[in-house]
Amino acid sequence: MASTAAPHTYRWSMPATWWTRNRHYFLYVVREFTAVPLAIWLLWFLVEIKRAGDGPAKYSPHGSTPFVIFSVVCLGFALYHSVTFLSLSGLIIRVKVLDKQVPARMITFAMFGIWALASLVIAAVLIGFAR
Amino acid sequence: MAEKRITIQATRYDPDKDSAPRLQSYDIPFPDESMVVLDALNYIKSHVDGSLSYRWSCRMGICGSCGMMVNGTPKLTCSAFLRDYWPRPVIVQPLNNFPIIRDLVIDMEDFMHKLKSIKPWIIRKQELPLGAGEHRQSTAQIDEFRQFSQCINCMLCYAACPVYGLNNEFLGPAAIALARRYNLDSRDEGLTKRLPMIADSEGVWECSFVGECSVVCPKGVDPAKAIQQTKLDTTMRFVLPFGNRE
Repeated sequence: MASTAAPHTYRWSMPATWWTRNRHYFLYVVREFTAVPLAIWLLWFLVEIKRAGDGPAKYSPHGSTPFVIFSVVCLGFALYHSVTFLSLSGLIIRVKVLDKQVPARMITFAMFGIWALASLVIAAVLIGFAR
Repeated sequence: MAEKRITIQATRYDPDKDSAPRLQSYDIPFPDESMVVLDALNYIKSHVDGSLSYRWSCRMGICGSCGMMVNGTPKLTCSAFLRDYWPRPVIVQPLNNFPIIRDLVIDMEDFMHKLKSIKPWIIRKQELPLGAGEHRQSTAQIDEFRQFSQCINCMLCYAACPVYGLNNEFLGPAAIALARRYNLDSRDEGLTKRLPMIADSEGVWECSFVGECSVVCPKGVDPAKAIQQTKLDTTMRFVLPFGNRE
């Protein structure tokens, strides 16, 4: 009679260095880790908002050179995330008008347009408050 | 003129004798530029070592059974030309992220289970009698899902996916792409039956968009796209009023 026992298999396990095996994996991990300095910057931003709550007379924004450099680097990371995310929007978002699929490029273009508009509105609000 | 030769290093693993897989080297003739890695394995099996085990069937990139790691990249060995690697040795290993049964043969049980779980067939709320005729589709309706129907279940995308490698509870690229294929089919009415699997935390939401599944697919399917589109669709169903309508 044939044995019904499950075959003895070798269990594969992912090595801790998996992300060094391939350029795409490496870039993926770099992309994921850029979120860490962004999160730190946003926490700092919350602290600044809290400090600003004491009124304009007592508030002076943190403007040391290392912090400005850190902010510029974080801006670069934020732009990188935004551009890669919005560039893919045309592939992912499916919109039909009059039963016809809107071309992916048009959706991507619209997303970048909305992004630019939202940035302008936020900038206007912040500048308005600063005055 | 000296005969052109190539070195093939293939994984050997005998579950009754070996505690771990090892590489065995074979130096074989390489007389024909059109030889692929599968031809090399078949040469080894026929002329050098008959005990080497691996899966293959059609030799023309259709059946999806000869997927292996070739120099660290998931490939259909019937489409991986030796000339692209020569004179370097070619390292042939079983697909990553799966248990190894013997040599280059992996255990595909987990994949088969996941594939079945997304109900990859057309589901109708009420079947029409045969006499009612065919379910007609326009070209535009076919174009909606055509690329996702090209999947040959070769599992290269699972071998390339580090998310599946780290957590094999993840439903995985091919299963989700196939679910998308049926959900986009105008003849299908089974979306709500598939949602519990694909919208689960181990479904589309486990994917962190590495994108390598789409890079290695030999048939040009874009599982990463299917997953991100499904994320958006399931979110819209949750957020929008009447989003859960059929």
